[in-house]
Amino acid sequence: MEILDAIRANLLSPAVLFFALGLMAALTKSDLKFPEPLYIGLTIYLLIAIGFKGGVAIAEAGIAKVWLPALAAMMLGALIPLWTFPVLRYGGKLSAVDAAAIAAHYGSVSAVTFIAATNYLKAIDVPFESYATAFLAVMESPAILVGVVLGKLATKKAGEASGASLKQAMHEAIFGRSIFLLVGALVVGALCGEAGMKKVEPFFVTPFQGVLALFLLEMGIVAGRRLEDLKKVGPFLLGFGIVVPLVNGALGVYLGKLTGLELGGATLLGVLSASASYIAAPAAIRMSLPDANPTLYLTSSLAITFPFNITLGIPIYLEIARKLYS
Amino acid sequence: MTTHAMKLVTIVCEAYAKAAVTKLLRDVGAHGYTLFAVEGDGSRGRREADIPEFTNIQVEVIVPPEVAQILLTRLEKEFFSRYGMIAFESDVRVLRPNKF
Repeated sequence: MEILDAIRANLLSPAVLFFALGLMAALTKSDLKFPEPLYIGLTIYLLIAIGFKGGVAIAEAGIAKVWLPALAAMMLGALIPLWTFPVLRYGGKLSAVDAAAIAAHYGSVSAVTFIAATNYLKAIDVPFESYATAFLAVMESPAILVGVVLGKLATKKAGEASGASLKQAMHEAIFGRSIFLLVGALVVGALCGEAGMKKVEPFFVTPFQGVLALFLLEMGIVAGRRLEDLKKVGPFLLGFGIVVPLVNGALGVYLGKLTGLELGGATLLGVLSASASYIAAPAAIRMSLPDANPTLYLTSSLAITFPFNITLGIPIYLEIARKLYS
Repeated sequence: MTTHAMKLVTIVCEAYAKAAVTKLLRDVGAHGYTLFAVEGDGSRGRREADIPEFTNIQVEVIVPPEVAQILLTRLEKEFFSRYGMIAFESDVRVLRPNKF
């Protein structure tokens, strides 16, 4: 019953209900639409708010406590594509370049899923290490690079300007606006510390939940518009998009425990491992592996894994952590 | 006032192709271009343009006819199979031909 309670608590939060509302809007073909600048504004706000808070937490906890789990997070991000690639290639009979592209998405992370998870933990009073935002920052890029290299190796098109496009993917993965903002805000937060936090708290902390609800409404619309594509991806990817997050989530929680995180922090590392990127990874992959089919990787990360994690996944990873820590 | 014959090449493509397309424009010798976000429907499905990464862009570039030929040939050979994209040329007349 515990798990059902955990799920219910998640489903009845404003953020998740607004996400469902967004899905409904898309499914009913409502003309509800966010202007693009608002979407960009909301992402900037959320990334800065979460980054700043994480930075302050790093300043409080000290680098000595953060580096080991951060390193573990980074390694996990880089390793996930290595095991998901053969599953996709041989289990799902996908082309090598498609398998590499999807593997990159699942190794990389979704900031919104992470933010929703921190929100959930806060709502049900489970304490967590706020510096976990640092794990989010370091987990985004490694998988993308590994995926691109896998794709290049597999397609053996190494001759044709692959150095340049790998460089491009690397640039996109490291200096893309989301990772740039997040790392930047982490550094600013770490430099300001608690004193700086007091100054920006009314803006970056108090309205945070409302902004997140607004943003998830928009993400519900964006994800919902892609639900039609589910028919195109077939049952294998549908299963993949749910089972792989569960496996990766459990791995992440376990690794969190091994590296000394508390229950809340381990849950967050589980959420990160389970989440799949749908902003940074598609942008980098589309440029460096243009032959991979975007419908496959976008639909599985955005229309399958993202809604799954937001609704059921997050409380499940918490329950896995609870079992492991009891 | 004297005007000179040039070609206007219009490319409508997914935003992900932006870096590759603008690089190609430089490679074939275009002196500049204009780019804006658009939305629409096509053979690869509707582009909602709801978030910047999923948007479509329209690139317009005015070049001498021989450059337009090279540009369209390379688009056809290197880009059409990889990206959601259409491209076409039209006749225009410009002032100050050396700008193009």
